[in-house]
Amino acid sequence: MSFEPTNTIITIVAFLILYWALNKWAFGPLFGIMEKRRQLILEQMNSAESSRKQAEASMAEQKAALDQARQEAYAILEQARTTSTKQADDIVQSAKTEADRLKDNALKDIESEKNKAIAALRSEVGGISVQIASKIIEKQVDEKSQEQIVNQYLKEVGSK
Amino acid sequence: MHLFPIVNVFGIDFDLAAIIAILVSCVITFVVARLAVRNLSVDKPSKMQNFMEWAVDFMHGTIASSMPVHKVRPYLALGMTLIMFIFISNLLGLPFMVVTDAHEPIKWLGIDQAYLDSHGGAAHIAWWKSPTADLAVTAGLALVVFVLVHFLGLKLNRKHYLHHYFHPYPVFFPVNIIETIAKPLTLALRLYANIYAGEVLISTILMMGFAGIPFMIAWQGFSIFVGAIQAFLFTVLTMVYISQATVHDDDEHVEAAAAKH
Repeated sequence: MSFEPTNTIITIVAFLILYWALNKWAFGPLFGIMEKRRQLILEQMNSAESSRKQAEASMAEQKAALDQARQEAYAILEQARTTSTKQADDIVQSAKTEADRLKDNALKDIESEKNKAIAALRSEVGGISVQIASKIIEKQVDEKSQEQIVNQYLKEVGSK
Repeated sequence: MHLFPIVNVFGIDFDLAAIIAILVSCVITFVVARLAVRNLSVDKPSKMQNFMEWAVDFMHGTIASSMPVHKVRPYLALGMTLIMFIFISNLLGLPFMVVTDAHEPIKWLGIDQAYLDSHGGAAHIAWWKSPTADLAVTAGLALVVFVLVHFLGLKLNRKHYLHHYFHPYPVFFPVNIIETIAKPLTLALRLYANIYAGEVLISTILMMGFAGIPFMIAWQGFSIFVGAIQAFLFTVLTMVYISQATVHDDDEHVEAAAAKH
């Protein structure tokens, strides 16, 4: 076994050329592809993250919308309830006022009827008292003056 | 023993077997790598691409075990080239042998009558071997690593790199020099010795004839294992040496502290 220095030199040259060639035509492109894939995966992870966030946001949005709809429904229900209560109150109120009005009218009617009756009664009593008075007076007053008085009364009555 | 074809051109010896082996290793390495990166795809990698990416990830993890992970990237291609080239080189000598017998003196291979006479009238010329079974080749690889380590040490970490020679006390300078020289030396010798021993044993088993087949199967399998281990070891040690020369611990602590805040 001999040591040939030429082998050493040839090895060095060959190895350097091999390194250069591999770097240029094999490992360079391969590392590039691997780096590209790393980037791609990073990108995909980022996009997955962002789409997850998006999904979460839209979910929250939908939940908010649902909550709002529920609130609105509740509000509508509440409003309907208050409206109906108010309406019932109104109806009762109006019925009450109507009843009051009717009662007042009736009272007024009664009052006026009472006044009328009183007036009628008064005139009747007047008439009767006149008759009684005339009956009493009849005996003291003559026919002629009686007639005069009667006429006068009649006139009075007639003018009333 | 086999004779390697050595050609003397302009007074310089060229070992044809080693040159062939180096070139074949380089070509196979390059072709494998090229096949792996054919039709590169980001989302639908082919099987070869998958395998190569696994190898790159493995290498990345291996280098990251010797230096901070953000410094790995520039050495990844070097590590891949080293491990692929050495592994393929280690396996190259395993499957077959190309031997020619020369019965006449061949001047340009340096075979003369005296050699023929001393070897029973025939010279067995081995044209095929693992390039890494040659100390001159592994020395070349170790030299590349040696130069690279010290160049990177001077370029990236000059103060601490130079200071390390006088660590912990200036009196240790000779020891540190020995250590510096021992590193590439052991790197070259370890790889060479493992692969050469494997090939020697293969030649020995071949002498057993058919009886040696079970041994051959076992040893070939083990040699593949050894080839992988040695390629891995060479690469890891290279990275460790680079890390030792270029990465200073204090810097790392500061950087780690800065990264935390």
